[in-house]
Amino acid sequence: MSSCAIISRMKNDTSHIRNFSIVAHIDHGKSTISDRILELTHTVEERDLESQMLDSMDIERERGITIKSNAVRVAYDADDGRTYQFNLIDTPGHVDFTYEVSRSLAACEGAVLVVDATQGVEAQTVSNALLAMNADLDIVPAINKIDLPSAEPDRVREEIEEDLAIPADDAVCVSGKTGEGIHDLLEAIVYLVSPPAGEVDAPLKALILDSYFDEYRGVVATVRVFDGSIKKGDRLVMMAEGDTFLCDGVGCKRPLETPLPELGVGEVGYVVTGLKDPALVHVGDTLTKPEHPCAEVLPGYHEAKPMVFAGVFPVDNKEYENLRDALEKLKVNDPSLTWAPETSVALGFGFRVGFLGLLHMEVVKERLEREFGLDLIATSPSVDYHVYTTAGEMLDIKSPQDLPRPEKIDRIEEPYLNAKVIVPPDYMGAVMQLAIEHRGITKDMVYLSEKSVEMHFDIPLAELILDFFDQLKSRTKGYASLDYEFADYQASDLVKLDILLAGEEVDALSFIVHKDKAYTLARGLCDKLKEIIPRQQFEVPIQGAIGNKIISRSTVRAVRKDVLAKCYGGDISRKRKLLEKQKEGKKRMKQIGTVDVPQEAFLAVLKVDDDA
Amino acid sequence: MAKVCGIYEALWLARLHLSSAHALYLHLPFCVRKCAYCDFASWETPAGDPLMAAYADSLGRLTAQAADVGLLDGCKTAYVGGGTPSLAGEGLVRLVSDIRLRAPSLDELTCEANPDSLTDKLLGSLREVGCTRLSIGVQSLSDAELVELGRIHTAKRANELLRAAVETGIDVSCDLMCATPRQTDASWRRSVEGVCEVGVGHVSVYPLQIEEDTPLGRIVGDDEPAWNDPEVQARRMEQAHELLSAQGLVRYEVASYARPGKECLHNQAYWTAVPYLGLGTRACSMLTREAYERLRTVSPRLPQADEDASRIRLTCIDGVRAIAGAQGLADLRYDVEQLDERRAAAEDLMLAMRMVRGAGPGLVEHARAVIGATRVDEALSWCQQQGLAEPAGGSWVPTVQGWLLGNRLYGRMWELAE
Repeated sequence: MSSCAIISRMKNDTSHIRNFSIVAHIDHGKSTISDRILELTHTVEERDLESQMLDSMDIERERGITIKSNAVRVAYDADDGRTYQFNLIDTPGHVDFTYEVSRSLAACEGAVLVVDATQGVEAQTVSNALLAMNADLDIVPAINKIDLPSAEPDRVREEIEEDLAIPADDAVCVSGKTGEGIHDLLEAIVYLVSPPAGEVDAPLKALILDSYFDEYRGVVATVRVFDGSIKKGDRLVMMAEGDTFLCDGVGCKRPLETPLPELGVGEVGYVVTGLKDPALVHVGDTLTKPEHPCAEVLPGYHEAKPMVFAGVFPVDNKEYENLRDALEKLKVNDPSLTWAPETSVALGFGFRVGFLGLLHMEVVKERLEREFGLDLIATSPSVDYHVYTTAGEMLDIKSPQDLPRPEKIDRIEEPYLNAKVIVPPDYMGAVMQLAIEHRGITKDMVYLSEKSVEMHFDIPLAELILDFFDQLKSRTKGYASLDYEFADYQASDLVKLDILLAGEEVDALSFIVHKDKAYTLARGLCDKLKEIIPRQQFEVPIQGAIGNKIISRSTVRAVRKDVLAKCYGGDISRKRKLLEKQKEGKKRMKQIGTVDVPQEAFLAVLKVDDDA
Repeated sequence: MAKVCGIYEALWLARLHLSSAHALYLHLPFCVRKCAYCDFASWETPAGDPLMAAYADSLGRLTAQAADVGLLDGCKTAYVGGGTPSLAGEGLVRLVSDIRLRAPSLDELTCEANPDSLTDKLLGSLREVGCTRLSIGVQSLSDAELVELGRIHTAKRANELLRAAVETGIDVSCDLMCATPRQTDASWRRSVEGVCEVGVGHVSVYPLQIEEDTPLGRIVGDDEPAWNDPEVQARRMEQAHELLSAQGLVRYEVASYARPGKECLHNQAYWTAVPYLGLGTRACSMLTREAYERLRTVSPRLPQADEDASRIRLTCIDGVRAIAGAQGLADLRYDVEQLDERRAAAEDLMLAMRMVRGAGPGLVEHARAVIGATRVDEALSWCQQQGLAEPAGGSWVPTVQGWLLGNRLYGRMWELAE
């Protein structure tokens, strides 16, 4: 099974190619099945197989979530005697990354829908199945974890048919753990997933799925060829943005990069662009040849736009330049990242960074800390407000501290989303209640089946980024799935809530909030900060204020006595170690005025209990 | 002033270059029952277990060998701690006579004892062979509190024993523990006043510290019990200060009170850079570079001192059986930590701040010379701003706030080591 065998086919023949994704509810075993496929097709040897081969980032592996998509080519010797080229395109599973899911699916003809034999159909099974059906994919249902004693494949098969209206007679029973059934699954992919259509002689039309930066070769793009072919030396253009480049090589990942003479029609692989600026390559754009351009761009191109903005500051201000370098390096394989310098009285120099959502923010912060050895403080997330001043100007305000004084504000508009929640009918009431609490307006709902309803809301983005998603999950026992897109800007009665520590306003703790919620939030925030800020040598009053009016307060009492270890038998080393530990804890805190504030205090607003 | 400081500094410097240990600590890690809060090196051992006698006799031989190479020349104090040294009975008596024989110019020889194992007979024998001071682990004079702590003696027994010991004329100290389960302000007052009434010359008071790896720590878990709240600890320590002062016991260290002249010399050695030799399982030594070289002549396995090492701290890591069977100092194994001049000076400042007399001009001047005047002055004035320490004459002494928030004060001093 050489790489030649995979590509040397008749010119326009794509009958040996199968492009597919694996989709599943979280923890249903998507990544383990991917691993088994790589193993069974000898793409990687068992001894080299790191668990979850496709999730290459540390954070992905640790959290068991897929953030970046990835495409791997495997050669499968099928029972019919032919060797098939499988392109396995991994998809992220979290709502922040929905955009990546849809463009991954746009590159496929089929999807393997994995359902846990012990859990059955769950919320994300439904939403993923819908995404796959909307993308017109051939669906191969696979019932996983059949090795477990509590597996009920027959019940799950019925659920797939009833809840998802997907024929499940041919559902393959597999165990990602033992490898049982994986061979049958591969055979099912051969028979159930259509080979790609496309014309080798038509003008080149290829979709950019993903991109990453290589120091030596510049931007490398992962593409799916729909028509035509690409080889080294071709002059190529990205249609939406208009930039051209000379192709410096093509190949596929197996899972290491393997150069090929050509990427043919229907195939998935990488293109070395040689471009040194990652910003020039836009995921979702269409690739063609300037001399014979294709007639139209592929649908669905839209730039991933940051929706959530938060301040990111180094604990130690000397790290500012390092933070800037780190952000630049990270942007290379996370083009959605944006930032602008920000200065805070309390935290010094840092950046206001734009994120796709809260999980994205968490992941980026963690990557910055881990991969670049930085110690960072992130401030409460905010959205992009449009502030109309009495002078008739419109200001883009991404940070509460930039908000003009109230008398200069005519009105503030905030971004609203169209949110879509899919949930079993039993939880409709709970979801409506949650939406009301978050200033959402229910527009309509549609029964998708007896067991699932799709509800539509208009809801302010600012409400969604706080605890909406967590609350939604907990109030629907994990059944609800959420998807959203930007709708428009609407005027709201918003105020800036300031927090004062020991009488001093701390700009990094300010927060823009709806007037009706300001009192509750101020009280909750003061109480939460009281829990988070350790006792200091002096009493620390915490106050919430709107303008000059104090609306809530709490107090961190002074510490009266710290631990006194008995220096027993002259064991001074031990005492010193305790003092050093105490100091380590303090180092991770930010001194604001005379108060030592732990990093998590700046995100306290995310932890305020709604019912408080 | 500069001249005066010069003299003080010279005195301080002399201490940093002594070529022998001026204090000797011997550790007997045996207890009938381990207390619920205890994380010290001690193991439950039945009374009369021959291992204890073998171990004590081995410590006697090791002491003799140390003396033979001059490590105990000029040794002023000795302290036999535990565990429960009194549990070793006759073994302890033999050990005390061995110490006396090998360190003839002692000003003080303390034995720790618990009310349950210190019999009148043992008391008499110890006094006879040259023990000058007893430190008795009373902890409380409330039976309810003693049960909670896992102590096996009663308040009545403690009281009788203290009385008997004081009557013999020996110096008696007792430990008391505050912020313990079931303790009240009133019961704490009864314990403090009770031991004073019997006439002890020295009292140590400590707040109970909940250590993770103890039965108590496991029961408490992540809770922060009200009885151990920092507020309660502070109040009880202040209460003890008032009660003891009223009885004529004067504070000389953060947790130690004594009638004039009854301060513990040995413990003061720990706080004032006097070198000490510790023998036994988990026993700690602090030696000058010079004394360390002397120890190396009989313990060749010890690593050579680094070029810039000025102080060496050692912790003996041999278990009880290894100590009991040791042929000599050459058999012992240690964790070794070397401190350069700067770290040693920072450590001295940290320790000095536990004492009422604080850091004297000699120490401060020495620290400024080796750490840098600006850094030392900055640290001291920070402490003053925070209300933790203040200048007094040429010294720096802890304030009332400094007693209660000692970790801040000591921590700031130790930061000077960096």
